[in-house]
Amino acid sequence: MNFNKHALKENLTGYLFIAPQLILFLVFLVYPIIEGIRLSLYRINYTNEVFVGFENYQKLFLNPVFVKSTINTVVFVIFIVALTVIFALFVSAAVFDKNAKYVSFIRGSYYIPVMVSMVVMSMVWSFLLNPANGLIPYIAKQMEMSSINFLGNPKTVLPVIIFVTFATNVGQAIILYIASMIGVPKDLFEAAEVDGASRTTIIFKILIPMVKPTTIYIIIMNIIAVLKIFVVIQLLTGGGPNNASTTLMYFLYNNAFKFNQLGIASAVGVIMFLITLVLSIPQLRAMFKKD
Amino acid sequence: MFKKRFLATALSGVLALSALAGCSDKESSKPAGGSKDKKTVELSLMLTPQWKGVMDATEQGADYDSFFKYAADKFSKQYKDYDVKVKVEVVASEQRDELLNVKLNGGTPPDIFFENTFAMGDYAHRGALVPLNDIVDDAAKKDIDQNYWDTVTFGKDIYFYPFSHMPGTFAYNADMLKAAGLEKYIGGENEIKTWTLEEYETILNSLKKDLPKDKYPNAYPMGLYALNNQADTWNLAYLRMFGNQFFDKKGNIVLDDAKGVKAAEWLKKTYDAGLTNPGAESVSSNDVLAMFKNQKIAIAFTNSVLFNNTKAEMEQGKAPKFDIRLANIPSESGDPLTFTYVSGAAVFNTQDETRIKVSKDFVKFFSTDPELVKASKNGVPVRTSVANEFKSQNPLFAAYDKNAQYLFNFTGSVPGYSQLRQVLFPELQALYTGQKSPEQAIKDYQKNGNQVIKDAKENSVIK
Repeated sequence: MNFNKHALKENLTGYLFIAPQLILFLVFLVYPIIEGIRLSLYRINYTNEVFVGFENYQKLFLNPVFVKSTINTVVFVIFIVALTVIFALFVSAAVFDKNAKYVSFIRGSYYIPVMVSMVVMSMVWSFLLNPANGLIPYIAKQMEMSSINFLGNPKTVLPVIIFVTFATNVGQAIILYIASMIGVPKDLFEAAEVDGASRTTIIFKILIPMVKPTTIYIIIMNIIAVLKIFVVIQLLTGGGPNNASTTLMYFLYNNAFKFNQLGIASAVGVIMFLITLVLSIPQLRAMFKKD
Repeated sequence: MFKKRFLATALSGVLALSALAGCSDKESSKPAGGSKDKKTVELSLMLTPQWKGVMDATEQGADYDSFFKYAADKFSKQYKDYDVKVKVEVVASEQRDELLNVKLNGGTPPDIFFENTFAMGDYAHRGALVPLNDIVDDAAKKDIDQNYWDTVTFGKDIYFYPFSHMPGTFAYNADMLKAAGLEKYIGGENEIKTWTLEEYETILNSLKKDLPKDKYPNAYPMGLYALNNQADTWNLAYLRMFGNQFFDKKGNIVLDDAKGVKAAEWLKKTYDAGLTNPGAESVSSNDVLAMFKNQKIAIAFTNSVLFNNTKAEMEQGKAPKFDIRLANIPSESGDPLTFTYVSGAAVFNTQDETRIKVSKDFVKFFSTDPELVKASKNGVPVRTSVANEFKSQNPLFAAYDKNAQYLFNFTGSVPGYSQLRQVLFPELQALYTGQKSPEQAIKDYQKNGNQVIKDAKENSVIK
């Protein structure tokens, strides 16, 4: 006990220095998570809260819109992450060893959409695709084609959102891959060249395995980001047509802020938190391994 | 060494405290701020876009908040109990519920909200509003027709102070009708033209066929939208076109019958025939309005305020000028389908007695002040005295009055109406995209809608 007191006194300054971050972490991250879990077990009105156990979760799994949202979210995660990794690997592998100015140009070109707000990007796409007054349907009409509505067709709305999100986010992955590839020791490439390895062999046997930690990082970060996909849905499709493009985050938002079903929304939040936690485990394990 | 350590400890202590500095509570009623002994009370008033200007949209610098800023200034000059400052904020209609839900759940509701009362009824059911019975006197009850008081009464209490109302109709571009050879269907400038459903179909078909493509390129006969819940009252009206009553006496949806299905079939048929703008499932009412103003649509939805604002924009050169007139939404029976939005102020239960009292006094002030109530002419006044005063200046008031006999209560006064609105447009989207047949869309809407109403009834504080 005495030792603990002494240790506490010794380390007081250190604790106080980390206190601001710790307080912010507890108040803005830990507390909302605990409160979210608590709320998911209640039916909440403006005037009272009634404990309902797992009723909110039961309602969720019986709700076809929630099931649709989950399926859509999984589709988005698989396609956007796969496209991002494959395309970013392709571009990075093609340019990482070229002239520095050229590499900078490529990096800059792909990174510009990342810097532009997703809201602005969605609005631009909306301007292009709006069936009433959008540019693409207008051009189609001028060319005497039948009316085009990519956002109103349940078969095309998901590919459009996948493309828009992918195009906006891929720059980040390209930056990370190029940085990672530049860091791969040159002697490995030289040795491979001496052994007569082709460019394809070098990429698949040396480059891709050497940037594996970056790939894992990009996959996990993108999965987490895509799980939370919201802005593009809100601004481009509103979840439609007939909930064809609703995602978990959009479903949560609707329940929390439009329908005022805080209990249901919290239950969705808890489910999303658990999915994210499970997906983050490989990264966490990798982090602790280093230590 | 000790000094250094002390300094570091003190510094880290300050850092730790600074992290909490932003968490202090906001003071609502500040003591002795402005003049002499009077306390300052700060109120927040929110409104969705209604009319521009204090009295008229043609005023210099007219905007949606002009009236309330002027009213607040006039109120605080004559108010004896407190120094009152009113922060006026205009919020987009489609963001109203999100904003209010966040504010209510965060315990910081606005003091006053001015809006069409149909969209705010749920907040009364949720116990978020305070009754206004104590600020409604006999003079007001006499001057405002009982119909309007009924609209703003939930259970036994009045929750909104009626200010004006906005009848919903069609607006049509008479120039486009003329260009398509449809002169005989054009009503008078101060008339709300009533077409039979058959005539309306003829108009739509002729517009599609005969509208000169060189003068009106890429134009469509009718505006149709289902992206979200905005302006869905017109969609609700279309669903009544063949005589369906929509709600039964218990407040349940009864759309799923032959008449309701026929209405959905009519919508689908009209859409598929290219008599409306394409992509209705992804088009919002705002898009339709913009297209109408740009003469890309001949017949679109409107209400009295939108109609006046559009005319004012034309006068100010902000929109292309054309001959804009009003028509009723037709029905199979020949009687027009008409509804109205009563707009007025509600006071939120902020748990602060002082703010609630001052808010009520302010609401009473701008809802009864002889000068300020004249602004209700921008819509249609709920006060008989104001309507009579402006009858000669606005001949449409008489036309709206004539229409009043056909009014239907589109909300059915059911609890959960806001959420009910959220289940309609996905079904319309499914209808327009062909994902569901008219029968299935109507059936699913009734099922989901009645579930919403049932849940909301269970949770309502008003029994």
